Amino acid sequence: MLLLLTRPRYDRPTHYLFHWAGLLVNEAEKKGIKVIDLDKDKAKKKNLHSYLAKQPIDTVILNGHGSPESVAGEDNEIILSVGNGTKLLKNKIIFVRACDSGAILGKEIMKNGAKGFVGYIQPFMFLIDKDYFNKPLEDELAAPFLECSNQVGISLIKGRSVAEAHKDSLGKYSEAIDKYSSSETTNSFLLPILLWNMTNQVYYQ
Amino acid sequence: MEEQNNIQIIPEDIINLVIARLETIPPNIEMSIGNEGSFSIDELIERVKKQDNIGKKMIEMQLTYLRSLDKLPTQYLQNAPATN
Repeated sequence: MLLLLTRPRYDRPTHYLFHWAGLLVNEAEKKGIKVIDLDKDKAKKKNLHSYLAKQPIDTVILNGHGSPESVAGEDNEIILSVGNGTKLLKNKIIFVRACDSGAILGKEIMKNGAKGFVGYIQPFMFLIDKDYFNKPLEDELAAPFLECSNQVGISLIKGRSVAEAHKDSLGKYSEAIDKYSSSETTNSFLLPILLWNMTNQVYYQ
Repeated sequence: MEEQNNIQIIPEDIINLVIARLETIPPNIEMSIGNEGSFSIDELIERVKKQDNIGKKMIEMQLTYLRSLDKLPTQYLQNAPATN
């Protein structure tokens, strides 16, 4: 398997996604999977399109900001949008961890021959504990959201199908919702956001 | 929600309920909402009061959660001990 990720980092949300997607890089490398890691300044349209055109990439994981029609890279540069780059994803599996991209872009990617797509049809939301801004992986309030969405990537790295990866992720959300529904927890304010991300995650194959 | 001249009117009770729920989130926490940015809880409450796009997303999110609660199996309630 050859995996490509984008991990821009230029504002608070992308700072968190950068670190949490780094766990996916580690997971893939542990399994001996070759990874093309387009982090920070490398998360540019020119680089993404060039790698997609020239390398036999199987799986693509894009992290960043999004809209129904597009996904952004470093400094909010649009790196993939309807009619611009979607044909390069033919025969590939794509996970887009960005707001709204499942609404239109994901369907367009599938029309252009992708094997499968996982994304969100509404904004992807998470909480940030300001005391942990410099240690995003230790932020216990951000963790449930990013662990549940990371599960899509982890399952894809393990070679599971798009449908299975989506299901595995929903399983993680259910576990988290059960945990924070317990009367012993004081963090029940996480529940509406977990449910929101869970119900707005979609897959196509 | 009522609709008058294509403008959705969200009842004040709903707005107050959503604000009360947001107030349960500790103040040192921000919510990241994609490319809209990160918002403090006070900022989110202001957005809910203004009923702009972010505010409406907060309302939609909280109402979706509250509606999901009616799917809880009722035997939990039937078996729960009553307290005075």
